Amino acid sequence: MSTTKHPSVLAQTVSTPVILIGGLALIAVLTWAFGSNIFGRTVTEMFIRVALVVGMFTFIGNSGVISFGHAGFMCIGAYGSAWLTIPPMMKKVLLPGLSPMLANAELTFFLSLIIASLFAGVIAFAVGLILMRLSGIASSIATFAMLAVINTIYSNWGPVTGGTSSVVGIPITTGVWISFGGAAAAVVIAYLYGISRSGLALRAGRDEAVAAAASGVDIYRERLIAFTISGALCGMAGVLYAHFLGVVNPDAFYLGVTFISLSMLVVGGMSSLSGAVIGVVLISAIIELLRKMEKGITVGEGTLSLPNGIQEIAIGVVMIVILMFRPGGLTGGAELSLTRTSANDGYSKKDQGSGNHPDNKPRR
Amino acid sequence: MTQPLQAKQVSVSFDGLRALSDVTLDIPPARVSGLIGPNGAGKTTLVNVLTGFQSPTTGSVVCDGRDVSGLSAHKLRRLGVARTFQGGRLFKDLSVLDNLEVTGVGLGLTRREAASRAVDMLDWVGISHLMTDIAGSLPYTDERRVGIARALMMAPSFVLLDEPAAGMSAHEADDLADLIARIVKDMKCGVLLIEHNISLVLKICEHIHVLDSGELIDEGDPAHIKTSEKVLHAYMGTQGDVDMQGAIL
Repeated sequence: MSTTKHPSVLAQTVSTPVILIGGLALIAVLTWAFGSNIFGRTVTEMFIRVALVVGMFTFIGNSGVISFGHAGFMCIGAYGSAWLTIPPMMKKVLLPGLSPMLANAELTFFLSLIIASLFAGVIAFAVGLILMRLSGIASSIATFAMLAVINTIYSNWGPVTGGTSSVVGIPITTGVWISFGGAAAAVVIAYLYGISRSGLALRAGRDEAVAAAASGVDIYRERLIAFTISGALCGMAGVLYAHFLGVVNPDAFYLGVTFISLSMLVVGGMSSLSGAVIGVVLISAIIELLRKMEKGITVGEGTLSLPNGIQEIAIGVVMIVILMFRPGGLTGGAELSLTRTSANDGYSKKDQGSGNHPDNKPRR
Repeated sequence: MTQPLQAKQVSVSFDGLRALSDVTLDIPPARVSGLIGPNGAGKTTLVNVLTGFQSPTTGSVVCDGRDVSGLSAHKLRRLGVARTFQGGRLFKDLSVLDNLEVTGVGLGLTRREAASRAVDMLDWVGISHLMTDIAGSLPYTDERRVGIARALMMAPSFVLLDEPAAGMSAHEADDLADLIARIVKDMKCGVLLIEHNISLVLKICEHIHVLDSGELIDEGDPAHIKTSEKVLHAYMGTQGDVDMQGAIL
């Protein structure tokens, strides 16, 4: 046995989730102490997005495969919780096609949070059994097709989902602290996955799929594990969102949220957990600022207001600028850490996957 | 493992282009074999077939007496068939330690166990000072040595080294020869050395296979290969009677 010492992965990297959760906790405390009701809602929405984007990062960041479909798991989680928590009397009217078991269910928020998140994870696993065999752009397009399929089902299965109408009556329970708890839980789960065997193997496959296979890594299996966990986390974000607004609609989980959440991931840094969290906080701040400016800011005796839609344009511009000048995102793929480490046991230094695939066999 | 890794009448075609034709080759355990041939001879295609990265169009690959043709690369690695790559192909964003750990976790160890084995392997190869370096920042020679250490993790039964001496100085090639000798002696591992450095191959291989245009044109011990007309012809064309060792070095 060697006498050479090697640093523990946990000891090297645990400061990252501590810093991230600490930062989010500070925002929550300041909001609770000094924030207005409206600001509280903004912060709550930001925490929900942290849970969503961290969930997406768990798959995208570790595998290098861009997914356009994770908003679909958010939708599944949100509707799952709606089915479990809306009072039965309302469900009989709004959702007459529900099975008797669901129609009569009226679970507590926390129980439905767990069940609906797991349900989203199970659906991610089932879809992943097929999609994770694909790679590169084919895989990304397939995730987008999956999103379209989920949206179409939820928009047209009227008796069960309410169709394109909004489903109301969801108990409003998500506030600053519950959403903070969801975001913190997502950070912890993503971190633990990142330092796990599967997380290391998947990042190796992202860097060099061919060499990973030659090292005994079953990339399909590792991608499936990450996809399932990330589906469950996005489902949890959906549950939090449903219980934040008290109403769900399929279009709330479609292209808009997909664009915003991917923008947050790209801006922060696609291959680091810190990047995912920082991207959400930064883009949320920009959105909030622009939202206020769209409504108008009083300057002297006049009012300065920006045209509607400027939020989306600004986010697009920010993303283009980041991609041009800092392709690895603001963090460049590095993690916030108190320890000085040259090895990135948790996450990678660079940003994007190589696009390699186990099927890209080396040829003569 | 007591039985050789075998390619039996392996042929590979890419869109009608024949890369390998009826190649039969044994890699015996605990010995160093060589595979040489001019550029485009089909050496890497054969390595890909033997390690599960390329299915043979016809023929079979046999490992431990079992037909493993068509088995995926990660499954063949789990059966003890390891390889290195011409281009290194390290996980450039990961540390050297993590590069080796990946093999450990890929073969079923926990991270703690894999890290411990990786540290031992780095010590054994003599590169433990690189442990915390990011693989993408390594100089070329170290990259090669880390690639070999990664392949040797978990004591494979066979290791196929694809041009490990490329770009190395004579001194570094000597160190590599010593390392390969230790692989066989200490790990009882069968080695297939694929190299353009013919002097290295002639020096350390007990048996050498020669490929040309996808066909196995000759095989034998170094003394035989040095004087083989077929080998000379493959490397030198029809320019006549030139001493093999002198011509190629």
